[in-house]
Parts: sequence; structure tokens; C-alpha cells
Amino acid sequence: MAVSKKSMRWIPWILILPVLLIRTFTTIYPIFVTIKNSFFDIRILAGVDDFVGFANYLKVFSDQKVITSITFTVIFTVVSMALHIVLGVMLALILNMKFKGRRFIRTIVLIPWAMPSVVIGMAAKWAFNNDYGLINDFIRWFVPGYQNSWLINTGSARAAVIAMDLWKDLPFFAILVLSGLQFVSEDIYEAARVDGANGIQCFFRITLPLIARNVLTLCIPFTLWRLTSFDLVYAMTSGGPGEDTALIAYRITMEAFTNLNIGYAGALAIMLFLVMAVFSWLNIRVTSRLAD
Amino acid sequence: MNSVNKYKIYRGAVAVGRWILFALVSFIILFPVYWIFISSITPPGELFKTPIDYLPDHPTLESYTFLIENVGLIQKIGNTVLIVGSTLVISTVLCSMAAYAFARFGSRGIGAAFGFIVATMLIPEVVTARPLYEFMRAVNLYDTYPGLILLYISTIIPFTVLILRNFVGEIPISLEEAAAIDGANFAQRLFTVVLPLMKPAIATVCIINFVTCLNNFFTPLFYSNGIQVLSVAIVQLPLRDNMYGVPWDLTSAMGWVILLPIIIFVAIFEKQIMDGIMAGGVKA
Repeated sequence: MAVSKKSMRWIPWILILPVLLIRTFTTIYPIFVTIKNSFFDIRILAGVDDFVGFANYLKVFSDQKVITSITFTVIFTVVSMALHIVLGVMLALILNMKFKGRRFIRTIVLIPWAMPSVVIGMAAKWAFNNDYGLINDFIRWFVPGYQNSWLINTGSARAAVIAMDLWKDLPFFAILVLSGLQFVSEDIYEAARVDGANGIQCFFRITLPLIARNVLTLCIPFTLWRLTSFDLVYAMTSGGPGEDTALIAYRITMEAFTNLNIGYAGALAIMLFLVMAVFSWLNIRVTSRLAD
Repeated sequence: MNSVNKYKIYRGAVAVGRWILFALVSFIILFPVYWIFISSITPPGELFKTPIDYLPDHPTLESYTFLIENVGLIQKIGNTVLIVGSTLVISTVLCSMAAYAFARFGSRGIGAAFGFIVATMLIPEVVTARPLYEFMRAVNLYDTYPGLILLYISTIIPFTVLILRNFVGEIPISLEEAAAIDGANFAQRLFTVVLPLMKPAIATVCIINFVTCLNNFFTPLFYSNGIQVLSVAIVQLPLRDNMYGVPWDLTSAMGWVILLPIIIFVAIFEKQIMDGIMAGGVKA
């Protein structure tokens, strides 16, 4: 066919050149600059720009703010992902039920997915307000006179951030689990029922093993998104109270754009990127082993 | 009790349980959205009330008129439409071309380039933000429409290319061969044979990308200042006589301005969105 003629060799390169150039300049070039910056002490305001080797990387382990950020990022990611898996599979099973309201509920679960995180964050900031917020008002239906300034105390502020993260992304996770569920044939369940299996047995012996690999694969991007989550905390708590809800991505952008510690921000960013790369690699190893 | 009756009770219980779950999920998602709506039409003073008035006594559009007159709502909507619209049109053209090349030309170099595009998906925005900010300033694209559109396009390239390439791969090559025999040149085959067949995939991808672009907050926050889109405007509303640091009257109105089109959009395109999400597996 004409497509493979020698004189046509340059054609595919012309076609892919624009996307290749755009991605190179917006991701590859800047990541190399970030790597370079991470070895320098750059403070624009003080006019400092010195080579410091690994000093920025070592500083991380003694910086209380960053340690707090890392701690919360780990809590946030682990708790959120555990709940994503448990509640996400449950929601997927609900979405997979055959009944009249199915199209309605499938439309509804798309709403949080389509809402910008900042809108959710801004609304949550007011919803968790002690006096006039939606959350306490709702709790007062059942517990009259309930008082709690959610975003002022560390524990409840962190719980609130995780709750809003779930509200936004859980439906999306469930839809993706659902796409795996739909490939599980009805025949298998019928055969199991004939053999006397009940609903719970069917779930643990048939459904779960069949979707386990799909769910684990989904965990890669969802965990990476948790590790780089920024919008929600920016709008909802600005990292407060103190630094207790400052996720690492928020901390890095603050160092880079507010405190203007560009070298230090670079070191933090590179460490985050390495953690993400190692995590992805490990997860791919595990899921491919499951496939065998 | 005979077993037929027992079975009926069991079926009934399952149906009731199903509807309770259904109602619970709907409530958790819809109630906050409803609360944002009624807050936006409640007079600002009446927002400081406990318990919350879920049916406002004096509905008003005051917050919306304030946004239009004092915050420049119309201009921000204009910015958003211009940037998102241009992004969708340009990215569709560029990504369709690339997807065609990736699907049809199997050389090692082209394969590596495809792997590269997909791999860049893993590079998070926070890692590239500061150098990219300085680069955009250096080439005078910071806080300009072309600069913002370029960065918006960049964020959706990997996902779009991936989905469209898989789709082109399923179009039989024999259709193009037939056109070639009839004397169609390369450009004619691409534009008259392949592109029309790609329409459903392009529609699905555009619908998902539309939502992704509206949700984009990081790009307009860090790479523009004067040009405000809706997602940034909502975090920079003026504070008014309120000790809580949230101008909830304006925030809820601005929130609803963003939410209403999204809800209508989702209701219309539910099926395409579901297909798109499931086909992609992963959002960019």
C-alpha cells in the first residue's frame, strides 16, 4: 500500500510533530530544569543562586513542615484508597443492579466527577462551618445542639478533607469498577446458584476474584492522583489548621510560588516523582503476577 | 408458611433494600448540590441562620447581579468559553492527525514516540510548574490566551491521543486501500475516509475533555493573572461583611453558575460519558 512507500516516511513525523513538541516543552524540558534546580540553593528575593549538592534533599528530613505534609499525605492516600476500594466496589454493585432507576442513578454519580474540585472545596469550607454549615445542621436533625468546628481541629479537619475527596472521586472509581463487572457473565452466577451458593458466597468466590486485577490496576492512577492532590486542599483549608492538612503537592507549590525557595521545592518535587515512579513500577509487577 | 411465600418476602426485602441504597446514594450526592443552589438565591443576611432554611422565604437573584456588576462574571464566562472552546477545536485536529499516524505507521521510531506521549502522563504538574512558569514568562506567553490554550491542550493530549489511536486501529485499512486504488491521495484518504469514521470517537473524547478543561484549576491559577476563568474566579471572590473568610452568598452563586451547565451536560451525555470513561479506563 502507498502508505509504506519510502518517500512517505516523513509523513507520520509531520503528523505527530505538534503533539510531540507540545509535550516535550511542557513536561520533559521543565522536569530537567527541576532536577537541575534541586541541586542549587535558589532564593530569588535574597539574590542567592549557589550549587549545594544534595543539601536540599537532606534538609527534607529535618524540616518539620515537610514532615507534617508527608505524614498527612500518607494518611490521606492510604485511608482514601482503602475506602475507595471498599465503598467503590459496593457502589459499583449498586450501579450494576438491574432496576428502573438505573439510568437516573448513573447520571447522578457523574455529577461529582464533573464538578471542579475547587467548587467542592469552597462549598466544603462553608459546609463544615460550626454555626451555619450544612454538615452540623444535618447532624442537629439527630443530635440537637451539636457543636463542632471541623476545620479548626487537626483530626476532624483531616477527616473532612478525606471525606470530600471521597465524595468527589468515589463515583468515578465505581464507574471504572463497573466497567469490569459488566464483563462477568450472568451464566457463572446461575451455575453457582444451581449449586446452592448464596449471594455472599457468590460475591466473595466469583465476583471479587474476577474483578480483583481490574481494581488493583485502577489503584495505580487513583493513588498517584492522591499523591499529587492540590485543588481541594487549596480551596478548602489552605493547608490549615497550621500545616496539618497541607498535602505534599500543596507544600511544594507554596515553596515554589510563595516562599520562592525554588531549589528546595525542586528537591521535594523530584522526591515525590521518584516515589510515584517506584510505586507504579511495584504495582505493575504485582498486577502482572496476579494475571499469571 | 410455604416456600412460595417465603420467596416473595425475600424478593420484596431485596427490592426495598435496593431502593434504600438508591435513595441514600442520591441523597448524599444531590443534597449538597441543592444546598448550594438555595444558598445562592437566599438573601445574604438570611444565610446566617440556624437551622438552615431549605426553602428560602425571600428568594432573590441579588448575588448573581452582584457577580455580574462588580465581579465581571460575564467576562469570566467569556474567557472560559474562549479558552475551553479553542482548546477542544485545536486539540481535536492535532490529536486526530497524531492518532492516525500512530495507528497506521508501525515503524520503531513512531512506536517510541507513542510510548513517550503516554509516559509523559506520569509527570505530575507540581514537578514541572516552576520551570514551566519561568519558561512561559521568557517566551511572553504568561497570562496570554495563546499561552493558556497551549497549556490546556497539553494537559489533554495523552488521553486524547491514546483513545483516538485505539479507535483508528479498529477502522479496517481496506477502506483506505480501496480509496487509494480509486486514485485518492494521502490527504484525501485522511480527510474523506478516516476522519468521518472517527466522528463518534471524537465526540466522546471532546465530551470528556470539555469536563477536564472546565475542571482545570492548576493551569489558570499559575500561568495567568489578569485572564480569569471561572474555576479560579471562585477562589478569588471579594470578602464581604463576614467574619468567616467565606463570602458564601457569592461563592454559592458562582458555584451554581459553574454547576448548572455541568449538570445539564451530564444529563444529556450520560451514555457517551460512561462509554468514554470506560473506553479510556483512565482519565488524563
